[in-house]
Amino acid sequence: RGYPEFVRTAQSYHGRPIFALFCGDKDAEGRSWCPDCVTAEPVVRKELHNLPDESVFIYCLVGDRAYWKDPNNEFRRSLKLTGVPTLLKYGTPQKLVEEECFKAELVRMLFTED
Amino acid sequence: SVQAHKEEDNPEKMMEVNGLSPVPHSYDYDLIVIGGGSGGLAAAKEAAKYEKKVMVLDFVTPTPQGSSWGLGGTCVNVGCIPKKLMHQAALLGQALQDSRKFGWQFTEEVKHNWMTMTESVQNYIGSLNWGYRVALRDTKVTYENAYGEFVGPHTIKATNKKGIEKLYTAERFIIATGERPRYLGIPGDKEYCISSDDLFSLPYCPGKTLVIGASYVALECAGFLAGLGLDVTVMVRSILLRGFDQDMANKIGEYMKEHGVSFIREFVPIKIEQVEEGAPGILKVTAKSTTGDQIIEGEYNTVLLAIGRDPCTRKIGLDKVGVNINEKTGKIPVNDEEQTNVPHIYAIGDILQGKLELTPVAIQAGRLLVRRLYAGAATKCDYVNVPTTVFTPLEYGACGYSEETAVEKFGEENIEVYHSHFWPLEWTVPSRDNNKCYAKIICNIQDNERVIGFHVLGPNAGEVTQGFAAAIKCGLTKEQLDNTIGIHPVCAEV
Repeated sequence: RGYPEFVRTAQSYHGRPIFALFCGDKDAEGRSWCPDCVTAEPVVRKELHNLPDESVFIYCLVGDRAYWKDPNNEFRRSLKLTGVPTLLKYGTPQKLVEEECFKAELVRMLFTED
Repeated sequence: SVQAHKEEDNPEKMMEVNGLSPVPHSYDYDLIVIGGGSGGLAAAKEAAKYEKKVMVLDFVTPTPQGSSWGLGGTCVNVGCIPKKLMHQAALLGQALQDSRKFGWQFTEEVKHNWMTMTESVQNYIGSLNWGYRVALRDTKVTYENAYGEFVGPHTIKATNKKGIEKLYTAERFIIATGERPRYLGIPGDKEYCISSDDLFSLPYCPGKTLVIGASYVALECAGFLAGLGLDVTVMVRSILLRGFDQDMANKIGEYMKEHGVSFIREFVPIKIEQVEEGAPGILKVTAKSTTGDQIIEGEYNTVLLAIGRDPCTRKIGLDKVGVNINEKTGKIPVNDEEQTNVPHIYAIGDILQGKLELTPVAIQAGRLLVRRLYAGAATKCDYVNVPTTVFTPLEYGACGYSEETAVEKFGEENIEVYHSHFWPLEWTVPSRDNNKCYAKIICNIQDNERVIGFHVLGPNAGEVTQGFAAAIKCGLTKEQLDNTIGIHPVCAEV
């Protein structure tokens, strides 16, 4: 959860392909403030079996709604995230943003193709 | 070994499963597009809009130096996009110099880092490659990274980079394979020279560079390399920018000469040798005069070939399906509906004979063709009065006839040329050249002084030209132009 923890985790897996899903924080009942994230998460989880061997999947909560709306938050600045949910292949320009994450076909393409 | 695509067995069943209407004659696809560049992708996406089953085959044969790239074709990967970004990098360098005169103070020397620029450019290109793949997948266009060739009238063999072959059939085909840089055919050219295919992803700064050629590719590359601070020489066999207005071409050459680019005119290279290995190494170039026996030699870190581009039409099995090509140039002749001599095979883009080699032309041709095929449209692509811009250090925008072509077609006595030098306001303070920017229009006296040619040499020429192109398409006359009040203070008001 949070940017520094994300970076530490990603660095600890240096050398392996890393896929990351960024979502808004969840409340006590496990529901995110971000409705698109609620829709996207099950789609992405269903495709996880298609991840290549040796790769790592990081699920990252970015923060609460106020933090996310701030245009200078670390995720926007350093990772260039423009929206949540974002699913990306770390270190490459390959990513899916918002409604693109709802589509199993696209998620599968991100996980399985070069 | 050859593996038949499994869909061939029961294509109609597959179609219904996918929710698309059945493909006639049990072909795998309604349309197969060979080439995933500007034209090919535009056509494929358009066809998908009409719920046709489409496949795009795109494959990049690596350059002699080993460079390759992703989906999107020349423009996106090794053409317009990286070129304009690097041109911008060079312009920014100039702007930094100018800025001191406008009051900006900085003490450090300003240097350029090739790797930083190249990485940023390649990163952007990567996001475009990915974007195209998402777009295709989203519109249910099948994309294969495989080399397509005809093996039968309705059958394509697709070979991927692992050598695995698959066969696909389609009712119709669009060939959009584009071109690749031509080599000289002299000793050392493939081993030691690079081309535009390699330049934009070069993993080291090219250093002292010799550019061979006088095409817009040569001059644009020479221009931005010099703008980034490199020592650049251009070796020209005869004239600059063949096919363009020569008056303008010479002005571009003069400007480049005065701004740090050396020219060696009327020489052709005959041998390239390696003096020292490295990234970059040192190459020795031997050249012979075209007008006498003189031989000269020079040493450079990098030799960039930009002598022309050849269509990728020789090895895609066109002979097997009877598609005619111009044997000498490799270009494909088509009728005004982009149809080859084989009715169900079409072609678009740079490979067409007698048509402009421009991305927007290929895109427009591709879209209109598909609309005619699948949406009952009748509009054909209009190849007349297409505007272009050459992004040399002093940019050149043009639309319509060059002065020479206008004289040839209408007769010198029937055309009137109006011209003017201008000094951009932004150039005054930093004391930049006051007599280099130039604009001219060519009018047809017999047709109400209609503007048939527009040429401008100056900053942002591309932006300036676009609007005038629309006006010319509407039949702009000199009188209408005179009656249009200018915006002040901009270059375009001239």
